[in-house]
Amino acid sequence: MINWVNFASQAVNGLVLGALLALISSGLTIIYGTLGVLNLAHGALFMIGGYAGYVVYGFTESYVAAVVGGALFVMLVGIVMERVIIRYFYARPHEDQILVTFGLGIVFVEVIRFFFGSLSKVVPGPSWATGITPLGFMVYPTYRLALVAIVAVALVVLFFVLYRTRLGMIVRAGIEDSTMVGALGINVYRVFMVVFGIGSMAAGFAGIVNAPVVSLTPDMGEAILVQTFVVVVIGGVGSFPGAILGGLIAGEIISITSMFDPGYSYVMLFVTMTVVLVLRPYGLLGTAGRE
Amino acid sequence: MRYARPYLVETLTAVGLIAAPLVLPHLGFVPNTINRILVWGLFGIGFDILFGFTGLLSFGQAAFFGTGGFVAAYLMTTAGFPHVVTALFIGMIAAGVVGWLVGLIALRRTGIYFAMITVAIAEVFFFVEFSPLASVTGGENGLPGVPTPSFDLGFTVVKFNTDYSIYAFLAFWYFLGMVVALRIVRSPVGAILAAIRDNPLRAAAVGHNVHAYKLTAFVIAAAYAGFAGGLLGVMQGFMPPDAFTFDTSGQLVMQAAIGGTGTLFGPLVGAALWLYLSDFLQKALDLGAAWKLVLGVVFVVLVIFLRRGIIGGIADLRALARGAGKAAADTAADGAGFHEEVGADEAMPAHHRASDRTTGPILEATGLTKRYGGLLANNDINFTVNHGELRGVIGPNGAGKSTFFKMLTCEVPPTAGRIVFEGQDITGMSVTDACQLGLTKSYQVNQLFTHLTVRENMTVAVLADRRGKFRLDMFRDPARIEGLNEQVDRTLHLVRLTRRADTKVSDLAYGEKRRLEIGLALGTSPSLLLLDEPLAGMSPQERIDTVKLLKSIARGRTMIVIDHDMEALFELAERITVLQEGQVLVEGTPEEIKANPAVQEAYLGGVLE
Amino acid sequence: MTKRNPEASRFTRRTAMQVGAGIVGGAMIPPGLSLPAFAAPAPLGTWPEGSAGSTVSIGAAVPRTGSYAAQGEDELKGMELAVQHINEGHALIKKISPKTTKGVLGKQVKLLVADSGAKPNNAVQAVQRFIAENKIVLMTGSTSSAVAVALNKFAEREKVLYAVAISGSNDTTGKDCARYSFRQCFYGETAANAIGPVLLKAFGKGKKAAFMTPDYTYGHTVTKSVNDYLTANGGWTMVTNQVSPLGAPDFSQYLTNIANSGADVLVNVNWGHDAVLSIQQAKQFGILPKMKLVVPYQVPFLAKEVGADIMQDVYAATDFWWTLEDKYPLAKMFVEAFDKKYGYKPEWGANNAYMQFAIWARMVESAGTFYPPDVIKAYEKGEKFDSTVGEVHFRGADHQLVRPVVIVKGKGPKAMKNKEDFWEVVEVVPGEPLMQKPDAFGCSLGDYT
Repeated sequence: MINWVNFASQAVNGLVLGALLALISSGLTIIYGTLGVLNLAHGALFMIGGYAGYVVYGFTESYVAAVVGGALFVMLVGIVMERVIIRYFYARPHEDQILVTFGLGIVFVEVIRFFFGSLSKVVPGPSWATGITPLGFMVYPTYRLALVAIVAVALVVLFFVLYRTRLGMIVRAGIEDSTMVGALGINVYRVFMVVFGIGSMAAGFAGIVNAPVVSLTPDMGEAILVQTFVVVVIGGVGSFPGAILGGLIAGEIISITSMFDPGYSYVMLFVTMTVVLVLRPYGLLGTAGRE
Repeated sequence: MRYARPYLVETLTAVGLIAAPLVLPHLGFVPNTINRILVWGLFGIGFDILFGFTGLLSFGQAAFFGTGGFVAAYLMTTAGFPHVVTALFIGMIAAGVVGWLVGLIALRRTGIYFAMITVAIAEVFFFVEFSPLASVTGGENGLPGVPTPSFDLGFTVVKFNTDYSIYAFLAFWYFLGMVVALRIVRSPVGAILAAIRDNPLRAAAVGHNVHAYKLTAFVIAAAYAGFAGGLLGVMQGFMPPDAFTFDTSGQLVMQAAIGGTGTLFGPLVGAALWLYLSDFLQKALDLGAAWKLVLGVVFVVLVIFLRRGIIGGIADLRALARGAGKAAADTAADGAGFHEEVGADEAMPAHHRASDRTTGPILEATGLTKRYGGLLANNDINFTVNHGELRGVIGPNGAGKSTFFKMLTCEVPPTAGRIVFEGQDITGMSVTDACQLGLTKSYQVNQLFTHLTVRENMTVAVLADRRGKFRLDMFRDPARIEGLNEQVDRTLHLVRLTRRADTKVSDLAYGEKRRLEIGLALGTSPSLLLLDEPLAGMSPQERIDTVKLLKSIARGRTMIVIDHDMEALFELAERITVLQEGQVLVEGTPEEIKANPAVQEAYLGGVLE
Repeated sequence: MTKRNPEASRFTRRTAMQVGAGIVGGAMIPPGLSLPAFAAPAPLGTWPEGSAGSTVSIGAAVPRTGSYAAQGEDELKGMELAVQHINEGHALIKKISPKTTKGVLGKQVKLLVADSGAKPNNAVQAVQRFIAENKIVLMTGSTSSAVAVALNKFAEREKVLYAVAISGSNDTTGKDCARYSFRQCFYGETAANAIGPVLLKAFGKGKKAAFMTPDYTYGHTVTKSVNDYLTANGGWTMVTNQVSPLGAPDFSQYLTNIANSGADVLVNVNWGHDAVLSIQQAKQFGILPKMKLVVPYQVPFLAKEVGADIMQDVYAATDFWWTLEDKYPLAKMFVEAFDKKYGYKPEWGANNAYMQFAIWARMVESAGTFYPPDVIKAYEKGEKFDSTVGEVHFRGADHQLVRPVVIVKGKGPKAMKNKEDFWEVVEVVPGEPLMQKPDAFGCSLGDYT
């Protein structure tokens, strides 16, 4: 179906997917940028967000409560994870950090599987965003359009936290030079904890707002994690604007390629990543120095 | 020690493999599980060379496991190729080639970037296997009907079609894989890989082509993965598309980490524990899907507390049991080392390269400028050193001495200017190539291979001199490299570390580490040796000894020394260059420098750090 | 060892009798094959070990996780019920396998189950285990043809019988058919030829169809068969074919292509949870009810999960629907026994699983031995017997059961008489004319030994 109408429709799909990837990736990237830890459990946190929302929804039947509850719960999971385990790994090699977060990711997935089973779960969308919205060239599920707005708001909030608050200053300074921040007498570890919480929450929030369009399964986070890596590599590790740009690029590539043949959409995504790596090894908006 | 009993490990491996099918069933292992352990174990040998020995954590090994497996399975099923073993080898080669291509991209970056890129690239293979290549690979179907191996010996046909005969088939390949891996890790290449894991920067600085060696390790790991993938297909008569999943890569990493990396046997032990527990938890305890939860927790706990895995833990326990007495003896040796050794103080002569001359300027830098953003670190430095000279470089902190040295050794490219070494323009060359030409430095902050012994450290440096920057002698016994041991011994002797040869660097005293730092530079037989603050942090006595050492090294060699200890420098150097604010302030003999008013104002009279 | 084995000695005696009968009856069996049977044959696969004791084991690899898990559970219940009935000599089993008393050849049957996740790798691993550890005499399971095809080959290699369970691919008894494997259920070609005329009658000629195809042997062959029929007989055109991986988390990209394809009819070949999700999302994208939905290979629980309203007037081809109890006495017995035990009306997966075991029991009893080649020959004889969908028989040349295909149509919420009354049976199409020639899909059975 190669025509302009379909192109426009797929571009809308790409925007929805891209916005979601941008939000998840920004969580991963600020954690890495500030703490120097690559969190391989990030995909699992995304998944937990969905399930936490599912549980809250089950009790309250309220979409808003599910989103708030799900996001806060994942933030809590993130903070506990940082306090109990991750903080002991700041001084250890990257490889150990990767291994332990990878292991934690598996534990999270299996805990969810243990309690909820493998059958998929569904969270309905909010009543004010059900139905169909005509876009002129096609009709589109209202909730998916709302999703773009919701994620955009979340990204704006994250932007304000990062660029307009004292915490954000420290975080961004930490991305530039973590030793300097420590030298300034700021309690770096407190900041680390908060950043880990916020980064996790971004994933969890994405997980719950995305739940009404997909169905929840315990291993849904794995594919997202891999795509998040690609987004971060394209955008530049540690760069918040890079995560947003990378997310949108990834979403559009996946969607627009599927206009030609969905079987190639992920292949194209990874090809793009390879090209970026060859031409700009530190990503589109990344800077050299951090490995 | 490793060489004291040749083939001990190999023999034990063979004995273990023969005993396993007799012993393991009594421990609750079923034959099928044992076979799977071998496939994972073989897959893991390659991964261990990559991760355990070279320090490259790849989460994308599934790509090669799948590639090798599917190429072999395709040949044996769809293409109707009758020779199982040949098909396996073709699969292995295919995986190696793919590994080489992937390595070219993935190894552009290190650390977490490398990990992420390997994940992503492996995912490409997964998607390619599924859609574009589905007609060849069967897509979701996989390739069923992989035949069991059989050999027509003329008088009889040997068929490997039962659990035990398949075991024999797999065990043979595991054994062979282990023998090859042992050869590799004991070869010069293996020594260099271990050095890269410890300190890639220094490995490059002593003249090894780090990227090429990493790529080598990557290809080796891919080849092992490919062969193991083929065996999986043969073992279960079916090549599953799951071979390409992230799960496969992740399971491999976990098994290796559980068993212990850097041991070659770790992945086998990890796989045994993994598969056994998965059987046990599912069947005996009837945990159903929760088995993976238990294993996940076990894994996390192991990473937190036993970071060298089960084998590493056992080794640590043994070391602990034997350690107490030995440690005391070690510390006693610390201070004594330097004086007790007597004998010829001759360094190995500088390695003579074709282009070498013996008179005139050895190094000429003109207009050397380095700019970091808005900061001008070095500005228009002109600098010439003649053959046989011993030059000192001084300057206050922030004068740009280290940046200057970094440019001279090609660690950082200059913003402007030109460096000519032995008549050859080396501007923009890599630090490795510069070192191979005979130009290297010792670092201000120790850059040693801390997890290796002193001898191993020195061997790494000397290998770069003896073998050049890259060579694929993966099966060579280092003892057979002509002059290697001699040069290692002599250099160790020169820096007075002979008695500490088998000590791990992390256990050395500070002064010893400084001497080794110089020794590493010396081990590459440089014709021009740069020493960046060799006396930094030393006690007065150590300084005297080290100056003596430097004098002995200087015979027949050109040297440039940076230091703050001006007394020592004035005693050592024939000429001194004074840097200030990134520029050459003055140059002359020690006497001239001492007398120079500008120097006195800027440096001698000024703030001495 | 053979001497001490009662199973082996019985084999010799009975085979001798059979061979005698065979010669009298027109020598269907090539003499070269049967002659060595006069001597005790060499061990083959799990024979004779597997049937040496007082019980025999069946190994099932059923998806209990993943996209096909719900259908797997239903299938498993059918298996459990069949094993129970076989062991107690239930009347229903006796209708299908008259020689059955209790158990199979007097041996109690034990069912071993492992989760396949609908993944061929897991299935092969599980079955390999069962063969090595439990010496199973029959393996079964699959709700995915990828699993079925893998197990087909594996059965052939291990010389253990395989009862296919759910598999809709033409390849299962086509190019990937196996001497050791037998399929009970309907498949792409019969589904297409059965539902095709109904679709042409309902929607007319010259329509434009969009297909949704899961990316494996089942999806590709079913789509091809359906499209071939509609194109050749109704002048339909395929305007798009959206191929998606099994277990896709989101179908928005595929559905967008379909929404912009201008199709009149959406033929959804997706299965299991993928079918549920893709149909729900098709509704979200406004594709349904704008396009007419067709489900050529019915998915158990589909109507229940997506809702009767969406499924109203949707045509589907299926293997069995419980209201057939009004038509077939065996179906009535089965539905009643199942409903009593599990509290719901069986889906076709359960019926299929039950029938397979019942048929296997019949064939083993008829062969009088567990020796696989003899059991296979019993299947291949093609005797007619009664089933929950009337009289059926196996086709010896490709091991496919010749059986009717049931065409159903969604009732919609208003017309439903009870909460499980989702479908109205439109037609029960006799199987024989629906099938391709045995070798049309490249079936070539392997050796007996």
